Amino acid sequence: MKTEKLDQLIADSLCEEPAFSLPADFAQKIVSAVARRQQWKADLREYFFLTAVVALLVTAVAGFYYWMDPELVLLVWRFISGNMIQVVSVVFVLNFIFLADRVLLRLLFNRWSKI
Amino acid sequence: MNDIELIDQVLKGNMNAFTFLVNRYQKLVVHIVGRLIQRQDVLEDVCQDVFLKVYQHLGKYRHESKLSTWIAAIAYNTGINYVRKLGNEREMEPDDASVLQNLADFKGDSYEREDLHRYVREQIELLPVHYRTVLTLFHLEEFSYQEIEQITGMPEGTVKSYLFRAKALLKEQLKRIVDANSLKEVKEIVHEN
Repeated sequence: MKTEKLDQLIADSLCEEPAFSLPADFAQKIVSAVARRQQWKADLREYFFLTAVVALLVTAVAGFYYWMDPELVLLVWRFISGNMIQVVSVVFVLNFIFLADRVLLRLLFNRWSKI
Repeated sequence: MNDIELIDQVLKGNMNAFTFLVNRYQKLVVHIVGRLIQRQDVLEDVCQDVFLKVYQHLGKYRHESKLSTWIAAIAYNTGINYVRKLGNEREMEPDDASVLQNLADFKGDSYEREDLHRYVREQIELLPVHYRTVLTLFHLEEFSYQEIEQITGMPEGTVKSYLFRAKALLKEQLKRIVDANSLKEVKEIVHEN
């Protein structure tokens, strides 16, 4: 076989598509994946926003009561500092339930629905 | 819809435009990633990763190169990282002598054009990763040397050298089997007589 023919054969083979392929609904899957990611980010943002709002509200209420009746607030503060472990545990559990409700369970359901 | 309008629509949150973009460039991505990783079972996941990166970073695209070049660069980097993760470092340093040994022997009895054609396609898949990549980008996707440089980060001279060496290896192998087959045919004729 002549060299030119070999060159032509190689050139033709190089221009041919490799045998790899993607499923027909690939684009739809990507769009769903993007939507899931956006949803997860939005859920997380919402969780942090609501946590900050609750923390601000508690601070505002404490400030208000301190202005009205400082003794009461100091009494509450003494109770908190006297039972620090229990108080922190309760706050942590409540916060985790809130995180699970707003973010983690939604993420889990999304994963399941993907499967 | 041209690329600029398409990007504009995707950045505005139009998911139909993004679907259109994926459909337009999925062949390009599958060719690059497929030739790099050569595994159908993980191809979809890696390609999905490429398009998620495209969506995530589309806001940073500065129109300094064609959109296809930009997407090809993301596909190349994602694919090459996957190859590195698999630990195929040896494949990264092409040594033509060992490559020639790795190329498979021709299994056919005759050298019909179609058989040789299929054989060359199989040999392309056996070439080192950088050779396969530049061959795909240059011949199949018709990118220029400068664009391949932008996509892979290889200097233009290296791209040219890889292209030349890859084609020379294929030709060498093809010559070998064509000559061997010619010899076999001659021997058979001699034996028949």
